[in-house]
Amino acid sequence: MEKTPTHKLLSFAYFLESSKRYNTIKNFFYNLMENDEYPYKKYFDMFMIFVILSSVTLLVMDVKQHIPGWLDDLDLYFVTTIFIVEYLLRMWVFSDIHRVIIDVFEESSYFDKKINLFTLAKAIVKDKWAYISSISAIIDIIAILPSYRGLRVLRVFVLFRAFKMLRYTKSLTGFLYVLKNKKFELMTLLTLSTFFIFIAGIMLYVFEGDNENPNIHNLFDAFYWALITISTVGYGDISPVTPEGRVVTMLIIITGIGLISFVTSIIVSSFNERLGVLREDRVIQAVGKKKKLTVVCGYGLLGRLVVQGLKKEGVEFIIIDKSEEMAEMAYNDGHHAICADASKEEIFKKLDINKRVSHVLCLTSDDIQNAFIAVNVKSLNEKVDVSARCSDHEIAKKMEFAHVDHIIMPEEIAGMMGAVYAGEPVAFEVLLSIIEEKEKTQINEITITEDSFLDNITLGEVNFEKLRLILLGVFKQCEGSKLGEFIFNPDSEFVLNAGDKLVCIGYSTAIANLKRKM
Amino acid sequence: MKVLHNIVLFGYGTFGRQLYKNLTAIGYQVRVITGLDDYVELESDKDVDITRINIKRNDDIFSLNINADETIFYCAMNQTATNLFLVLTLKSLYPKSDVVSISNSNETTRKLKYAGASSVIDLYEATSRRIVNVLTKPAVSKALDEIVYNQNDLQMLEIELPQDTFLEGRYVNEINFRQMGLILIAIIDKELGYELVFTDHRINHKLDSGDILVIVAKKEDIERFKEKLIS
Repeated sequence: MEKTPTHKLLSFAYFLESSKRYNTIKNFFYNLMENDEYPYKKYFDMFMIFVILSSVTLLVMDVKQHIPGWLDDLDLYFVTTIFIVEYLLRMWVFSDIHRVIIDVFEESSYFDKKINLFTLAKAIVKDKWAYISSISAIIDIIAILPSYRGLRVLRVFVLFRAFKMLRYTKSLTGFLYVLKNKKFELMTLLTLSTFFIFIAGIMLYVFEGDNENPNIHNLFDAFYWALITISTVGYGDISPVTPEGRVVTMLIIITGIGLISFVTSIIVSSFNERLGVLREDRVIQAVGKKKKLTVVCGYGLLGRLVVQGLKKEGVEFIIIDKSEEMAEMAYNDGHHAICADASKEEIFKKLDINKRVSHVLCLTSDDIQNAFIAVNVKSLNEKVDVSARCSDHEIAKKMEFAHVDHIIMPEEIAGMMGAVYAGEPVAFEVLLSIIEEKEKTQINEITITEDSFLDNITLGEVNFEKLRLILLGVFKQCEGSKLGEFIFNPDSEFVLNAGDKLVCIGYSTAIANLKRKM
Repeated sequence: MKVLHNIVLFGYGTFGRQLYKNLTAIGYQVRVITGLDDYVELESDKDVDITRINIKRNDDIFSLNINADETIFYCAMNQTATNLFLVLTLKSLYPKSDVVSISNSNETTRKLKYAGASSVIDLYEATSRRIVNVLTKPAVSKALDEIVYNQNDLQMLEIELPQDTFLEGRYVNEINFRQMGLILIAIIDKELGYELVFTDHRINHKLDSGDILVIVAKKEDIERFKEKLIS
């Protein structure tokens, strides 16, 4: 095959596609500029904000007192260079040109078409145009313009550099979203008010333009007056003098009040809607750093109790509830909470289920909903440990089929306890006090660590009585969360090893004491 | 030794059914009472002794002819308010009766206790403990499974010492319960009042008839121990 420029380009594109180094570098810049979760992005953002602020400060200082030439040069060359480099980098990481080249080539070879440099160029430009025509890119390019000192008006565009700051602060971009969300309503209102200003301006010009009113020289003055009046600002530099003019004024003042309150209410309501999303982002970011996250779905009676227990044990968790009211309550109780539907994959994707989520508890009061959530989670990542609450035995069977790790049936647990009460009221009391941990005596587990004083000795040598603990039994050779066999009441010849778990009953202080000794 | 009580179960919802199953499994005769319209009969309920009454009327409850002194009442209606009302009714009709009620929160538990319930089972308290244990103390939750929730070999139970046993007058420390396959967890020592004491404390109890031992053990070891007590 002959080496045409097209082929050279193509082989270069393939080279880039396969180059690990190129991709790492590109990824780094992408993370630095676009990925909010990347830890070093905030330093980049802070640096850019600093550059912008100093540039704006120089502009303001330059108005009254002249700044030294070198500072002006610094502004001109240094800041501009940074902006241009940033602009180019953003354009670069926005998409992959080499991918476009490969795609175009593969498509044309599939259809046996001859590759043409022009179509290739067109595809590349089309690809990057999506970036160039985006609002933030336009602001960026306008912010570079003031470096051209020929035109004085361009100096004002330095302020666009301030707009650039929006990009570096997340909460401000939230505001732009609000405006974008209500684009239709706002556009309608804008059209409507333009229409009113247009009509009122012309009417006033017709009534008072021919020397009746010394302040109205041309149509522009009339439009200016209309805008000032309709917005209820009312400077008073131009005011109507004829009765006809005053009637027009009265009409557009009434319209104006309506319009203004309408705009305000739209923006406020839109902010309210947006507030939830902003909070959700913050919650996800707050728990984002945790490696082992437990997701509690449902903040009902059971959910609340479980959350209290988890908090006491120091487990990191996040609460998801479908109902806004419940999520709000959880949030007000001081927990990380999000209002979302746990039976959809979206929220778990956001929480990064493959890396961060270790346990999911399905605790809504609806069995079917719990099964739904469990299946959703298991289908996304089978390794996540799922517990589900269930009241119906038939649904429990289905959950078993879906490999739910722990099916918890409140009625069964309570029913069992109720039955114990009938025959054994004292044993029941013991059970209750152990299970509910209301007294200081509790049941707990202690893992034997390597080379501790319990490693490799027989039970006979351990004086549990002196430790003030009652040993119920031992789990042999536990690896991680996997438990070995439960050996009840082992005899005094029984040898303890590292990795064994002891299940003891005793005062919380006695248990803490033993744990400390380990 | 064990006095088999009569059991009257109010309510036959999800919890009621479960309780019925557990109680009949250990050999109790259970009489089920439901409200007039809050119970839907299922195919599987054919053998259950169900009476429908108007729970709000005392006459209806009297008409059940219950011997209250030997009966444990379980209140397992679907609504908390109904349970509370039932506890109040039963306690006012039969002041000495033993009433157990289901509850769904701390708040309700407090009210039920105030109304006179001898014991309250919080549906969610135990469940939430269990969920947290599964997460943070897997060994504990599995051990409790074996002892309490799974009805297999291991059991937790209480034994009241009869008159003139081999234990009479001896101290807890002198007796090697472990060798008999028993783990003594708690004790009610009549000499120290009727308070329940866990045996992790350094009190060396003297055993007398009437003391109650709470023991975890395998079924066969318990049987052997019981025989030894009688002989």
